[in-house]
Amino acid sequence: MSNIPENPADRLLFELSKPGRRCVTFPKLDVPEVDIADALKGAKLRTEPARLPEIGELDLVRHFKNLAKKNFSVDKNFYPLGSCTMKYNPKINVTLLAQQGYTKAHPYLPEHDIQGHLELMYNLEHYLREVSGLDEVTLQPAAGAHGELTGVMCIKAYFEDRGEGAQRTEFLIPSAAHGTNPATAAMAGFKAVTLKEAANGNIDIEELKKKVGPQTAGMMITNPSTLGILEPKMREIAEILHGVGAQLYMDGANMNAISGIVQPGDYGIDVMHFNLHKTFSVPHGGGGPGAGPIAVRKHLAPYLPKPRIKKNADGTFSFDHDRPKSVGKVRSFFGNFGALVMAYTYMTQLGREGVRRMSQNAVLGANYIRVKLRDFYNVHHDRTNAHEVVFTDAKQDKENGVHTLDIAKRLIDYGIHPMTIYFPLPQNTGGHGAMMVEPTETESKESIDYFIECMKKIAQECKDNPELVKSAPHTTPVSKVDEKTASTNPQLYCPMCLG
Amino acid sequence: MPFIQHTDEDRAEMLKAIGAKSIDDLYVDIPADIRVKENGDKVKLNPSMGELEVTRHINALLAKTKNAGNYAFFRGAGIYNHHVSTLADHLALYEGDFITAYTPYQPECSQGTLTSVFEFQSCITALTGFEVSNAGMYDGASALAEAVLMGYRLTADKFRKETRETVVLAGAIHPEYAATVKTYCETTGLKLVTVGAGKDGRVDAGALKAALTREAAVVAIQSPNFLGVIEDVESLVKQAHEAETTIVQVIAEAVSLSVLQTPADAGIDICVGEGQSIGNHMFMGGPAFGFFASRKDFVRKMPGRIVSETTDRDGRRAFALALATREQHIRREKATSNICTNQALCALRALIQLAAWGKGGFTELGRQVVAKTQFARKALAAVKGVELAHPDAPVFNEFVIKAKPGLDAALIKQGIMGGLPLETVGMGQPGEYLVAVTEMTTKEDIDKYAKALGA
Ligand SMILES: Cc1ncc(COP(=O)(O)O)c(C=O)c1O
Repeated sequence: MSNIPENPADRLLFELSKPGRRCVTFPKLDVPEVDIADALKGAKLRTEPARLPEIGELDLVRHFKNLAKKNFSVDKNFYPLGSCTMKYNPKINVTLLAQQGYTKAHPYLPEHDIQGHLELMYNLEHYLREVSGLDEVTLQPAAGAHGELTGVMCIKAYFEDRGEGAQRTEFLIPSAAHGTNPATAAMAGFKAVTLKEAANGNIDIEELKKKVGPQTAGMMITNPSTLGILEPKMREIAEILHGVGAQLYMDGANMNAISGIVQPGDYGIDVMHFNLHKTFSVPHGGGGPGAGPIAVRKHLAPYLPKPRIKKNADGTFSFDHDRPKSVGKVRSFFGNFGALVMAYTYMTQLGREGVRRMSQNAVLGANYIRVKLRDFYNVHHDRTNAHEVVFTDAKQDKENGVHTLDIAKRLIDYGIHPMTIYFPLPQNTGGHGAMMVEPTETESKESIDYFIECMKKIAQECKDNPELVKSAPHTTPVSKVDEKTASTNPQLYCPMCLG
Repeated sequence: MPFIQHTDEDRAEMLKAIGAKSIDDLYVDIPADIRVKENGDKVKLNPSMGELEVTRHINALLAKTKNAGNYAFFRGAGIYNHHVSTLADHLALYEGDFITAYTPYQPECSQGTLTSVFEFQSCITALTGFEVSNAGMYDGASALAEAVLMGYRLTADKFRKETRETVVLAGAIHPEYAATVKTYCETTGLKLVTVGAGKDGRVDAGALKAALTREAAVVAIQSPNFLGVIEDVESLVKQAHEAETTIVQVIAEAVSLSVLQTPADAGIDICVGEGQSIGNHMFMGGPAFGFFASRKDFVRKMPGRIVSETTDRDGRRAFALALATREQHIRREKATSNICTNQALCALRALIQLAAWGKGGFTELGRQVVAKTQFARKALAAVKGVELAHPDAPVFNEFVIKAKPGLDAALIKQGIMGGLPLETVGMGQPGEYLVAVTEMTTKEDIDKYAKALGA
């Protein structure tokens, strides 16, 4: 632990603490005081109070305001973090959510007290059914990876129900897939079998045909893929899988490219998840909460988590717990309901035309960036792309010894949040580091042009002054952070919090 | 169109640069026969709405609801009606630089989030006594499921020559948590054994002993448990460790950590819980967050993100994501979990709330909850026809009463949301109600409830 910084703005809460300072006070107790040891006889008590900081309200506010200032955010910065869809989060979503009708809604209220919440969830399911072109939806999963797990669990339950559980042991996963895909397959007890992509980034149909068989439970395909490309042979892939009795799961993290343009159900997929925190603008919150609903075709619907929401003949709504084939529950209650409210607010504002314009403008921006930067950086697949485009550092590495990490950090100096650089892995991008850029539809052309100009400038800097790029960032509250030591010699808590 | 800034002129310029005639050209890889037609009605959605219309629409939905604020409120069972500091809304929900940032993969421009996660971890350490806390899980239920999987890995790694694949869920565990554990276990192929609660509301020690066969890998307990009863954690730890299993404790009411022995002191191996009580609104049960804490030796087996202190190139203190070789983006199918997005903003809210309470406030909160719970317990037990289900057991904030079945509707008419009828969640008989108290519960509320029960 370093010494306590001189400037209070740089201190941790624990370092701002002084015995006797207080922020929140409680109303005077309106019932008799009790002796805790006596009242809780038979239970063991803490030996000392938890060592939380003691702090006044102004210092507390200032602390968090100063921390906030050290973040880049969509509100403040262009944030082209590929695969994450960092679009604008309308303020109205938060304002409407912060009402008492939501903040004080308890999950175990009787159904007649929460009709409006059930109706909202019912409508949201409808929205996702329409966008997916599939038959039924659950809103329970808390994030994309959780949706993946739920979907794969449904597939597993489906095969067990058909007596094929022991036979179907493998899940096929393209090598460029997001890490959650193989991790999900493994968590659900499947062997993750990797599929190499074809040279143009598409699924290699011959490779697929070789690896698919009676042991295959399914395949997880991200469309558009994590290389930013729409898979042209989706229907053929679905047919190949269905031909051996397997299921096709679509990772819908990239639905910002195709919502309202094609219903993935028409591709023949069986199940997909949405990342409402990407496509439908639930604020990312520094890493969550999100929501990862899944949509399924009819034959998988009996296995969806319970309870389901149903509309009764008299127009009221209720929970349906009577789902004997359901996989059960994947978390408590009804999912990240508050996140669902924000997504719903966003979606109803978009409506039919808006959701289509969203995708179209997202794809337009990403293609524009590709053509504008293709002479400066290697485009991994220089073909029409979807809502994001993947560049590599092939040129800069070879000519100037500069890598994606350096370029990413240099962008920070220009006030732009780096693109995604930790994935896809170099093995999927010709051995070179990847830079996945996703502008989203909400950025103005001016912001996009500024990004393009900055990237060009950095390409020039790589030639003229590679050290400047390699030592970036130069303008941030901290310089390049030693991430290695964070892992080799982790310090995971402030020593002041533990006796 | 809402939220899109490009003008027709912008679009034309961009298309020209790309060399495409129309945006439709950019979708060449979607077969034409399944492409949705412009102005078609294949995708059946409402027309676009502006701020005013959507506000009206949402408020019309809200008009069809009631909430805790409309009642003298005694419902808990995992989601508690605590006071949430306005600071948590101002500094998290409305703070654009927190709410519109994402996972802090680039530490130089994410020190705000990273520092707050480090402070959050430190607070969970202060609460649980464990040296390691992660940055949070989805909720208490999925945190328990992941803790069970981790506990299984710990035991399996230690006894590689044996087949130890049984999970023992002991005592009154929240039904939503137990159901979630069951789902995860079924999928991974782990066997599940449940051990009930005895008459005193605590884990049936004899039944637990019988369940602790050599196949058992993990024991999971909840304390305070679903019926409100505080378990004899130390003796359960002893039993679990004698059987060479890993023991996990889940906590649904995190405020109980203000007064009860820390799980680390009790000898627990992994402690998880639901964090809603701390700074998070009820929101029908989510989003809040799950916390996840354990011993230093086990850190490489833990799921989820973890932040560590480190330095920058100039030797200044800085924070960064650490130990990522456990995680899906590096380790793929060998990762400790598939979790990626977590509930960061909710964990931040908890940090703000804990700091707002502070050391003294948190303790006082615990004392108020205990005092009010004791008062309510006595007041309700004094009503004719009402008795306590576990009169001799220690409780923190919740307890079960036995009264007439089917009282709920009549109470609601009088503005009282009484204890949860336990038969509705499959955890008791008709006439048993789980009553929850927080610092928000007033003496007046309790008197009103007691009076109505007596009528
Ligand atoms: C392609 C893809 N799939 C899955 C995920 C996982 O989603 P989440 O982070 O919401 O769990 C992500 C994003 O993180 C992603 O980009």
